[in-house]
Amino acid sequence: MPPFIDMNKCSGCSICDRVCPLDVIHFDHEKKSPIVKYPDECWHCGSCRLECPTAAIKIMFSPEMIY
Amino acid sequence: MLSQIREHIFETDVLVVGGGLAGNNAAIAALERKAKVIIAEKASLERCGAIAGGVDHFMAYLNTAPWDTREAYLEYVAKIARGAINIKIQDAVFCRELEDALERMERIGCTLKQSDGTYFRTRALGQPGPYFINFNGKNLKPALAREAKRLGVKVIEKCMITDLLFDGDKVIGALGFNIRTGDFYIIKSKATILATGCTTRLFQNPTGLPFNTWQCPADTGGAQVMAFKVGAKLANMEYMRITVVPKGFSAAGLNALTGMGGRFINARGEEFMKRYHPMGDKAPRSALVEAVIKEIQKGNGPIYIDCTHLSKSEIDHLNKTLGYDKDTLPDFLQQKGIDLSKDPLEVMYSEGMQAGPAEVCGSGIMIDEDTSSSVKGLFGAGDCTDQMRCVHVCTTGGYLAGKKAVEYAQGLSYLPKNDVKEIQKIKSSIYVPLTKKDGIPFQIIENTIRRIMWDYAGPVRNEKSLKVAIQKLEMLSEEAEKLKAKDFHELMRVHEAKQILEVGKIMCHASLERKETRFGVFHFRSDYPETREEFEGEIVIWQENGKIKKEFKKLDYTKII
Ligand SMILES: Cc1cc2nc3c(=O)[nH]c(=O)nc-3n(C[C@H](O)[C@H](O)[C@H](O)COP(=O)(O)OP(=O)(O)OC[C@H]3O[C@@H](n4cnc5c(N)ncnc54)[C@H](O)[C@@H]3O)c2cc1C
Ligand code: SF4
Ligand code: SF4
Repeated sequence: MPPFIDMNKCSGCSICDRVCPLDVIHFDHEKKSPIVKYPDECWHCGSCRLECPTAAIKIMFSPEMIY
Repeated sequence: MLSQIREHIFETDVLVVGGGLAGNNAAIAALERKAKVIIAEKASLERCGAIAGGVDHFMAYLNTAPWDTREAYLEYVAKIARGAINIKIQDAVFCRELEDALERMERIGCTLKQSDGTYFRTRALGQPGPYFINFNGKNLKPALAREAKRLGVKVIEKCMITDLLFDGDKVIGALGFNIRTGDFYIIKSKATILATGCTTRLFQNPTGLPFNTWQCPADTGGAQVMAFKVGAKLANMEYMRITVVPKGFSAAGLNALTGMGGRFINARGEEFMKRYHPMGDKAPRSALVEAVIKEIQKGNGPIYIDCTHLSKSEIDHLNKTLGYDKDTLPDFLQQKGIDLSKDPLEVMYSEGMQAGPAEVCGSGIMIDEDTSSSVKGLFGAGDCTDQMRCVHVCTTGGYLAGKKAVEYAQGLSYLPKNDVKEIQKIKSSIYVPLTKKDGIPFQIIENTIRRIMWDYAGPVRNEKSLKVAIQKLEMLSEEAEKLKAKDFHELMRVHEAKQILEVGKIMCHASLERKETRFGVFHFRSDYPETREEFEGEIVIWQENGKIKKEFKKLDYTKII
């Protein structure tokens, strides 16, 4: 799961949904929280993290890439 | 289903398809000339395309020394991109626009300078002097977006364009849909600029993860395929670009590492690059990739880039700046447990892609000195054209495309009329995959394309293998009719898969025509392993009445302007 979102820090602004170039993060407007809907399609570009106003996002590389 | 889709109609002077680096610059130029401009972009204007997360170098000559002039630059590009670059066009899309572009970068708030007002320059990839200006380009994309918005651009976000509107004589707009809501867009325009980048996800990925790509995986050859469909000429399509990346992560950063003095070493700790190219670690990219592949084939892998000999200040500079080019590369190194001052970094060749064979020219829509395609009303900008590539040329050439599109649009006194029936026909075909309940998911078709391309049209190709690839891809096109999508996000992926498939076919057809090897593995023909002077030029490919046409266009290097 490449972007890991810390829900304790997330303010529910939905910016990460808007800026992801690959349409990976979808904001659930009912639950007011972002969902990493297509983790397999993440480019690891860091755009979501760069734009998140509360620093709630960490980029975690899967073992498939680390080793 | 189709009846529930909302339809929106827009009219504009200039339509830019793809709001990445080149498209955004094109829009700024057109807006500055008071044109009405729409950008249709799959993602958001702030963070989209290749530079979404940042970039770190801008190639330029600054007139400080004999190697640092327009003439020296053109001589350099004629050498590294010989047979693919058109010097006259490079002069138009880059040299004549450079001064303006350097000024614009400062004005929009993405300076190329260090805090002390000087340029930090490095040398890599065969340059005669340090042509790379290293800078912090993390916020270049948001800065460009801000400027276009300040000038009044209309952006249609989360919009995938699938088809051009063509009246038999000229391009008069485009059609697309919203990748979340499915809304259908009819955009009527006087001039259309295609700027959707190169084609990724085309070749098997060594990590087995198709979106783990060097270039942006949202770039799937839309411009090339849409232009081809309306009869526009494409060129340089045969080249498979490939690079060297950290093992496991197809990330940019090679220039930063070798530019700073990183050395390639093999499993035995030997520096081997000089054996393959006289410029060693600073050789052009195609030579670096070829050397890495050959070293691994010889059994000398794993391969590393070793930075452990660099001084503390050099390592500090690297650690500070690696994330400018690929924002998450420092995280990757940290999670992998790599300290560049102590540990050599294991590297690997990347996946292949359809993109230009050098840092200075592209692969795709054949453009003239005015960035016009061979079809009226259709312009090209950025990596999807045959003569632009990388940050410097996409910035300068993208801007030129905006200027030229406005000039063309101003010459039309009325907005051309569309054929309503034709639009409705295209519309229903766009949404068909949503109705295929028992169809094939896009991943299966895409994985198959990637395997075919790597096995038969990858770093080793010959006439037989290319013909086999074409035959298999044609058969796969029939299967692709069964592609299914359960929502609009998947509908985007389905249309991307279809574009990738078409690019694959065009690449193989073009490659058959180039009966030689050029740029090493970027176009290696095992049946024609030599580089031949008579092939110093572009393979031009287009479609006429459903038939593929090809011609060879010789390029002239006798006189560098
Ligand atoms: C991580 C990274 C670092 C790099 N660093 C450097 C560097 O430091 N220096 C350098 O010179 N070069 C660098 N490059 C290369 C350079 O960034 C690219 O050559 C350049 O940005 C390409 O610009 P472009 O506008 O042609 O394409 P892009 O900027 O990729 O824009 C294409 C846009 O089109 C959109 N799109 C695609 N298809 C459609 C469609 N059908 N409908 C609507 N929109 C669509 C995409 O979402 C995308 O936003 C780097 C590339 C990467 C990936
Ligand atoms: S950008 Fe950050 S704060 Fe906003 S929704 Fe996403 S994770 Fe939450
Ligand atoms: S890292 Fe990039 S591609 Fe991945 S979720 Fe974040 S913005 Fe999207």
